[in-house]
This record gives sequence, C-alpha cells and structure tokens, in this order.
Amino acid sequence: MPHEVRMPQLGMVQDSGVIVAWLKRNGDPVTAGDPIFEVETDKATMEVAAATDGYLSGVKAAEGDDVPVGDLIAMIVEAEGDVETASTGAPLAEPEDVAVVEATRRPDPESEKQPPPAPLERAMPKSVASGRVLASPKARRIATERGIDLHQLRTQGVAEPIHVADLDAAFAVGGNSLLSAVVDPTVFDEILDRSRTADRTKLLAAFAAGAWRATFDVSSVSVAIKDLDGRREIVANPDQGGAGDPEDPVLTLFDLCGTRINGYVPMGGGVTLCVARSAAGYGLLLAFAESRLALSGAVALVEEIAARVENPLLQLL
Amino acid sequence: MTRDITLSQAVNEAIAEEMRRDETVILIGEDVAEAGTPFKVLSGLVEEFGTDRVIDTPIAEPGFMGIAVGAAMTGLRPIVDLMFGDFLYLVMDQLCNQAAKTHYMSGGKLNVPLVLRTNLGATRRSAAQHSQSLHALVAHIPGLKVAMPSSAYEAKGLLKAAIRDDNPVVIFEDKLMYQDKAPVPEEEYLLPLGEAAILREGPEVTLIGTSSMRQVCEKAAEILEADGIGAEVVDPRTLVPLDEGTILGSVRKTSRAIVVDEGHQNFGVTAEIAARISEKAFYYLDAPVIRMGAMDVPVPFSPALEDLTVPTPEGVAANARALVRGVPVHAP
Repeated sequence: MPHEVRMPQLGMVQDSGVIVAWLKRNGDPVTAGDPIFEVETDKATMEVAAATDGYLSGVKAAEGDDVPVGDLIAMIVEAEGDVETASTGAPLAEPEDVAVVEATRRPDPESEKQPPPAPLERAMPKSVASGRVLASPKARRIATERGIDLHQLRTQGVAEPIHVADLDAAFAVGGNSLLSAVVDPTVFDEILDRSRTADRTKLLAAFAAGAWRATFDVSSVSVAIKDLDGRREIVANPDQGGAGDPEDPVLTLFDLCGTRINGYVPMGGGVTLCVARSAAGYGLLLAFAESRLALSGAVALVEEIAARVENPLLQLL
Repeated sequence: MTRDITLSQAVNEAIAEEMRRDETVILIGEDVAEAGTPFKVLSGLVEEFGTDRVIDTPIAEPGFMGIAVGAAMTGLRPIVDLMFGDFLYLVMDQLCNQAAKTHYMSGGKLNVPLVLRTNLGATRRSAAQHSQSLHALVAHIPGLKVAMPSSAYEAKGLLKAAIRDDNPVVIFEDKLMYQDKAPVPEEEYLLPLGEAAILREGPEVTLIGTSSMRQVCEKAAEILEADGIGAEVVDPRTLVPLDEGTILGSVRKTSRAIVVDEGHQNFGVTAEIAARISEKAFYYLDAPVIRMGAMDVPVPFSPALEDLTVPTPEGVAANARALVRGVPVHAP
C-alpha cells in the first residue's frame, strides 16, 4: 500500500516548512528511517525520515518550496514499477511576496499595547549573509573543537556575528540529536539468565562508563542512573566497581528494558542513553547536543556501548 | 594599620620618607620650595630638607630637566616636578634623547635614576594647554618607565618604588585626584613597577582602567552589577613595564574587554593594550576589544563640551552591556 509523505509539524506554531534539500530523488529506493529530505522551520533545520520501505514517488515539491504543514509532498510506493514521475513545477516564493504578507498582516492588539523594549537590535546587513560566516574568534574556535558547522547555524537563522552563547542556544532550540542502534541480545541475555546476582542496570552503566572512558580517554567517569519514576542515583566509575567519589555525571542512563517505552529524551542539556529491549534485541538511543558532543564522538561512543552489550567480555579488556 | 589620607598627602609622605632614607634624593622644579606647587602637594618639605635639596627653579623646563638628567648621571636621585603634563613637550629632548638613552649608549656605565613627577586629566576647566594626558608620548620611548597611580595607596607605593629604581621613571598623577582619600598603610611599603591589580572580580567583561579611569571602570561595574552583569576591573598601575599576564588572564576568563584611558584614543594607550589582547588572547575573545580614550580634539574650555571628551561610567557600562548581549558596538 502506498505511503503518503506529508510536511510534518515540527514546531508548536509552525504552519509551513521550507524544503532545504532532497536527500533522495524521485524513484530512489528508501528504507524506513532513511532521511529523505531536509526541512527548515522558523527555528531549525531537520531531516525527515521515511516511515516505511519502498520507492520515492510522485515528488510534488522542489527545494526551496515553502510547503504548508500537512500537505502531500510525495509518496512511498512498494514496487519500483509503481513510481510516478515528479511534478515539481512550483516556483520559489519570491521575497517580495513575503514582505507583502508581513506588511498586510493585522497588528496584534496585545502587542500594540505593550511594545517589547528592544533598543539593542542585532545589526545584520543582508549583504553579510553570503560568504564567510561572521563569528567571534572564540565562537569559531569552539565550533571547530566541537565539530560545529557555522554555515548550518546561518541556515537556522542565527544572527551574525555568532557568539559562544549562540552555539549553545542554536542547538538547544533544535533539540537534541539522536543516534540509535539495535544490538544482538543473545550473549547478554544468557549472562543475565544464568547469573543470580547480575544487575542489568548496573551492567549497562558499566558498559556506558567503559565506552565513555575508551572513547574520550578520561580517568574518571560518573554515570547518573534514572528511571521514569524520577529516581536518580549517581555512580562513580561503574565499570571499575564504583570506586571513587561521584562527580558530575557524563551521561544519564535510562534502563527501559521491561517497559513498553522505547526511548525518552528529557528536556535540557546533557547526554542521555536509553536502553530498551524489543523482539529485535537491545535498542540503544543516545540523545546529545552537538554543541557539546560532536557527532563523530557520539557515533564512536554508541559503537563502543553496542559492542559491550553484544559481547560483555569486551568490558573486561 | 591604615588611615585615610589624600593622594596629595601620600605623595608628600613618599618623597619625605625617601629623602630621609637616602640623602642623594633631591627635589627640583618650579615653585616646589616656597609655594609647594599649585596643588600644595609638597608643603613642608623645604622646611625639613632645606633649599639645598628642595630647589626652586626659574620658569624654564628644558633647563631644570637638563640639570636633573646631569645630576642623575653623576650620582643624585632627582625628583623633577613638572607642574603640568602639558609641559612634557618642552622637556622631550632631555627626557627622551638623553635620560632614556644614556644607560644604553654608555654601554651600561651610566644610570639615570630620576623620577619625573607630572600630571594628567581634563575636566578641571584649564583649557587645551593645561588639560592633556600625554603619557602615551613617553610610554612610546624605550628606556623610560611609566607609572599611572589610581589612588593615594598606589601613588605612595609606586612613587617610592620609582625613586629607588635605577632607570628614569615618569609618574603621572591625575590632577583631579589630589584631594581624593584612600586607606594607606602606616607602615612603609613599595608597589613594584609592572604589577597590575585586579580590583574587582567578575565573569563577563574585563574593564581595564588607568589612573582615574580606574574609578570610572569601578563605577561602571556597579552600574552593570545592577543589570546582572559581572564586570572585572583591572588597573595596570604601570604602562611600562605592562603586566600583560594579569590583563590577558582576565580577558581569557571573561572573553570580552574594554580598555579605558584618558589619553587621546588615536594611537594611544588604549590602542596598545587592545592590540596586545587581540594578538595574544584572540582565540578567547567573544567580542571585539573596545577602546575608550579621550575624544580626539583639543580639550575644550567650555565645561559642557569638556565633559563630553572624557569616558564616563555610563558610557563604559553601555558598551559593556552591548558586548555581553552580543550586540556589535561597531557594525560588522
């Protein structure tokens, strides 16, 4: 059965989204979870993933199109033979049109009564929006250290020059980045079955701490263990028998095995690891802000955790 | 134990103590003996030390400056009183060509251990030829040390250290601060040349203020505190040598800096300090370094206009607020 691809609502007050880029072309095979296009809302640029397997068909919107939320953008069809041609004739929205809309919008009586005090406006001439992104030396250095692309912040509409505070704010607005993996459960399940003393959550905390230590080469790793009832415990160096005093945790672990919940990403910063058990195996979900943890580091971390869940003996090495 | 004394009394004490300690210390200049200078800083010294060591001169700055340089080369430690900093132009050859270079050109055989005491500062309604802050002129010349006390405490400690220094030292007192009181220890103390002071700690912006601009920065920091902005105030105390470590350390912490000085802004002390910060703490800066010097005009006689030429606490606070909020002070 063909599956409809519609413009998602990614923000509370979003009524349309601009298609920044198509990541798949009409007729391309797609797998559920594959990012198929990038959409820019008033706050951030996000990737939209295919909800099902199939072939991208009948693409109706071109890059640059501003598409109302809920409008049909394309289909995903089951068979290659069912692919319909793309019909993306829609012209780009002219900037003048936008200006007219702004000018004729009825003023909000509430906001007229109390004009917001904004004497200090950021001056960002339109002409600077091309070429080199304007950023403070410190912001540029930190962006390099964290693997942040300043051009991406520009596409998110961050005012230039970009300062350090903007790096954190930009990623906080766009929410956390998510990485997920599914791990073969055979060996870990068997260990848990056979041992009367093994504590799954503590073992997962040990895997996470060991993976963190291996990935980032640090000497002390504290992990916060939380559950959905709000209980919280901080364990120092769980991969080394809990030696040492608990410090600020590097990540928060949610052991969701035994619940129907697959993942939970709390508001706010920090790195969150959710572990859930499904028919497919152990599902790992890592939520992180790319302003604090570069994607490359997060990928390496998830790989290390997955390897340990798959074969807990690795933890001993 | 401390007591509150005026900057004027602090200078007087420093000179008296050093003249008692070392009989080669002499005082020379216009009206230093009988009149005790127009600012009454030196009252009582001629009574204690006599006219052999407290020497009134004719109104001839190049003459007494030359006498002092020669006396310093041949074993005395003269303190030269230059009534107004504006008269520096008259002694430039004696100071910059002779005093600054003699140790170097004599292969180290001769020292010129003299102190040139003079002043700076506008808003005293003294017009363009008696209101200038010319410390940048001498800070530019290798071989001269330059001190900028910002309180009675600093004035005494820096002056005593300058008198004991074997190099020529020019010390600038702000003529509007002579009656300002501050706690000064009763015991003897020296303040080493080349050590800045952090007078107030804060996380978000560093305000670097020389001489009376230190007070301007401290008042700005109080204004900013009411806005919830934490400002750090650094007083370099001496321009040469300049305590770069303290300044750079503070800016690396706050990542924003405003340099405030009463000399003209163009090619001035603010430019030098801002450039060093930009060169050496570049990757820690989250905003351009802002310079605030005196307006680049002759100091007006009109009080209303004169007041506009000097940095104010409100002006410093406004710039600091813009930096902390990420608003460019100068359009990118």
